[in-house]
Order: sequence, then structure tokens, then C-alpha cells
Amino acid sequence: MSNEIRFALYSVKKNIQSSAELRTSFLMNVVGMAINNTAFILLWIYFIKSFGIIGGWTSAEVVALQGFLALAYGVVFCLAQGIRKIPDYVASGAFDRFMLSPKNLLLRVATSSFGASAVGDVVFGVACLIIYGFLIQASLMQILLIVLVVILATLIFLATVIAIFSTSFLWVDSNAVTNGFFELFLTPALFHGGAFQGLTRFIFIFIIPSLLIGTIPVEIVRYLSFDKLALLAGLTIFWLLVSVKLFFKAVRRYESSNFMTFGN
Amino acid sequence: MEQLINIKNLTKKFNFPVKNTSKNWLKNLVRPDTKEVVAVDNISFSVNKGERIAFIGPNGAGKSTTIKMLTGIIFPTSGSIDILGFDPTEDRKKLAYQIGTVFGQRSQLLPNLPITDSLEFFGVMYDLSDQQIKKRSQELIEIFELSSFIDQPVRKLSLGQRMRAEVAVSLIHQPKIILLDEPTIGLDVVAKKSLRDLLMKVNKEDGVTIFLTSHDVGDIESLCDRTIIIDNGQIIKDLATRDLAQTFIFEKYIDLVSDNKFTNFFQLPKGLRYTTKAPNQITVVVDLQQISVKEAIKKLLDIFDVSDIDVYDADMETVIRYIYERDKASQ
Repeated sequence: MSNEIRFALYSVKKNIQSSAELRTSFLMNVVGMAINNTAFILLWIYFIKSFGIIGGWTSAEVVALQGFLALAYGVVFCLAQGIRKIPDYVASGAFDRFMLSPKNLLLRVATSSFGASAVGDVVFGVACLIIYGFLIQASLMQILLIVLVVILATLIFLATVIAIFSTSFLWVDSNAVTNGFFELFLTPALFHGGAFQGLTRFIFIFIIPSLLIGTIPVEIVRYLSFDKLALLAGLTIFWLLVSVKLFFKAVRRYESSNFMTFGN
Repeated sequence: MEQLINIKNLTKKFNFPVKNTSKNWLKNLVRPDTKEVVAVDNISFSVNKGERIAFIGPNGAGKSTTIKMLTGIIFPTSGSIDILGFDPTEDRKKLAYQIGTVFGQRSQLLPNLPITDSLEFFGVMYDLSDQQIKKRSQELIEIFELSSFIDQPVRKLSLGQRMRAEVAVSLIHQPKIILLDEPTIGLDVVAKKSLRDLLMKVNKEDGVTIFLTSHDVGDIESLCDRTIIIDNGQIIKDLATRDLAQTFIFEKYIDLVSDNKFTNFFQLPKGLRYTTKAPNQITVVVDLQQISVKEAIKKLLDIFDVSDIDVYDADMETVIRYIYERDKASQ
């Protein structure tokens, strides 16, 4: 196990070194994503100021929602961007090199690529949550909850993307299909909690776990809701188990193709 | 002789959707017909320690599919594989510690970083200590003569340099077998020879078993002591490379040289045909199933005024082309 972790961390380090070799694109990606996220949040704040509070959500909650989302997205695609590349790896046959590795296949694939632009998301996410903490004058309990739900939201985001991109082995046009699934999962997560009620809320919690990344974490911190915390923890474990199982089952369907590819 | 690879009744079938023109587009979309292709069809063979095997065949014969099943990249439809005592479908990780792989069309190197980083990367992946990585990297840099371009990012290397680096990296963990899929593809003659010499060296000095697929006759002739020919997923020949030409000789070549220039190229008797018609040399192919060499020489000497004559076998490329074409014609 220690060798697996050692290699995974080493792999991330090498990915960062490799990305940093292409300095201009690295910096463009990081700065570009931070600017992009800032523009998005300003749009929401302007929207709320214009139309007032929706479903009890103020600008502070919107900032928190974007913070949780950006942090989960950023951490996952920063350290484990390889998961998002599974459709490309499968279509090109580049997945072969992971099958030849003596390491845990999922960990090896996940850490095979570093998302420079996701660094911008991490920075933006941290900034949002710090601002949120000041806006609500967070208590110590709320600060601890923020840290805990960031971990849970990141894990459930990771589990969901593993599940989504693992289906690459099942489709001929895996890129289009998995990106469609990913949009279906991510887009509802971008809207604040007041937007989904009743059946849609149920669907986006229990069937497509979009609201578990941002909306539910905000509600946990805002209302100090330990019931929802337990629900989030339970669903995180469930999705982690399902996604890992799905990945290793789907890999057996891999049919290597013969396009020319490069390493790592 | 210790057996390292033992394959029994190995089969791989692929299924893919095909458009049925008699169905409408919706039926084709929702319930497409599928077509089954048998890429590898019930093959069996074994490989002994230290052998150098050429696994050859025309495009689409099943070479790469077999090598991918041997390494655990894809799963067989049926049959069994025992490689170094492991079943690649169950023990993929354990097997990976014991084998090295090189895919000519697929680089394993880190494109933006120098070769030393790739050597280190693979060393860490195979759980070598820092000291072991340093020592082994130095050995490989010397053996494969990488030092002149060791600091260049991989993406800036020539194809020949890159392939040497690929093989070096695949040997970092001192594997018992190295499997190579078209390692000399795209290389110039000098780079090809250099790579073959290096592979021969690791086979002779370290006892590494070599299993390679190639379309290059030079790889087979100069490197491999045994040749397995596969076509349409089936093994059609498994024999010592030196016996390959002898087994399949159905043609001989005769060079005729004249002090006076050849001016008339007469119609040749049955069983003979020209391959070269030049003023100073004629080359004729003798179809041994129609005419003997003795008879052919007699008839040619009756026709031409010759000062020198040379009789020789078909080269390896011709032999292999003959085998492929014969197999295609028999279908």
C-alpha cells in the first residue's frame, strides 16, 4: 500500500514538473480559470441583487456554493485529471500503458495527468470559502464543518467522475457520451439550492448526486445540519464503492486500439 | 529447457455494431446488428527461456492482439495463458514486475521531460530504491548510448533515439521477457541495426527472452532464432528462422552476365520469367515446380551468350511474401 501511495504522489509530482515545462500554457491555464470563475460568481451576485433572495439563498450562500464546487472540481482535476481523460485513453489505445503498470490501475490512471487550469479552481474555491466564512462570521463549529464537507464533497465528486468516465469502456463514442453524462451531473450543481425542490431535488441528490457537491454542503454549514452531514457521508461511501467496482468491471471490456500515442 | 510462456487454445473475438441497410435509422441506432471478428483463433504455442521469437504475419493477422493478451492489456475470449507462472487476466500486476514491453507506435516516455526522468519514473513504478534506480539508469545509459541526448526533452528526440530510450526504459526493472510490438517501425537502416544489436546484447548477456512482432525482414533474419507465422488469427508455421527459406523455397534466381551487351530479350521457356532485363545483366526466376535448375540453366545457355552465371535462393522477404500470398490464395 505504501508503495502505491509513494508512486501516486511521485506521479503527481512528475505531472506538475511536466506541465510546468510548458510555462506559458501552465500560467495561462491557472490565471484563466481563476478569472473565468470570478466572472461567473459576479454574474450570480448581480443576479441575486437584481431579483432578490431565491429559496432563502443569499449572495453569501452562492459564494459558498461556488467555493465548495470549485474546490471539489479543482482538487479532483488537479490531482486526478487522468480520470477525465479515460475516454481519450480508451479511444486512442493509450490506456494500454496503464494496463502494463504494476500499480493499482485506478490510482495509476487517475494520477496520470495534472490539470493546470484546475489549480485556478482550487485557489478560487479557497478564496470563496474564506470570504463566506467572513460573511456569515462563521463559528468554530461551522469552520470545522466547512473543512469536513469540503473533504466529503471532493470525495463524492471524485466517485461520480470515476463512475461517469468508467463507462468509456462501454460506448463506441465514449468521449461524447461521457461528456454528456458529466454535463448532466455538473450543470445542476452550478445552480443554487433554491432552484431545485421536490422531485428534482430528490433526483439530484439520490440518482444524480449533483446537489451533494455544493447545495447540501452549504445547507449543512448554514443550518448546522448533522442529519444532512450523515446523509452526505453515507452517500459518499456508497458512491465510492459503486464507482470503484464499476471501474474495475468496465476495464474488462477494454479493447485496445492502435493509434499512435505518447507517454505518462 | 525452462518454459516461460505457454499458450493453449487462445481465442479472441471482437464484436462491433454494423449498419444494416434494410433497417431504418432508428432501429440501427437503438438495436444495431453486431458483427463478430475472430482476431485470434485457437492458437497454442510455448516459448523457452532465452529464445528470440519473431511473431510475424500480415496486417490484421492477430499479432498485436496476441501480444496484448500476453501482457494483460486485453482479456482473451477463451483459452489459457501461462507467462512466467502467471495468468495475465488474474495476476496482471505481478506479471508486470517480470516483463518489459515496447510498442513501436506507442511511447511510454514522459514527453516533456528528459529520458532520465522517464528512467526514474519507471524505476519508482517498479519499486526500485533511489540507489538501484541510479545504478541501473547509469548501466542502461551506457549500454544504449543515451548520454549524448540524455538532457533533451523526449519530444525533441529523433525516432531512432526515442526507440533506444523506449527499450532502455522497459529494461529498468531487469525483466525476464521483453515483448516488442514493431519496435523498428519507421527507423532508418542505421537505427534499426543499432536497436537489433542492443536487443541481441541483452539477450546474450542478461538472458532476456525476446518476443517481437515485426514487418521488417531484417528484424527476423538478424535477431530471431525462431519464427512463428500467424495469419487470420491462426498459426500457419512455427519453425527455426534458418529453416524458413529452405522450407518455402519454390523458386531459384539465376543471374546471367555477358561480356557483350544483351540486346535481345527472347521469350523464355515455361517455368522461367525475367525479373531484370538490363544490357549487362539478366535475372531470371525459376519456378521449381515447373522446371529444374539444371534444365533451366541448359535452356538459358542455349538462348544467351553468357560469360558468368550465378544461382541463388529467394531472399527472406520473398519467402515471407510467398507465405502470406499463398495463405491468402488458399482462402
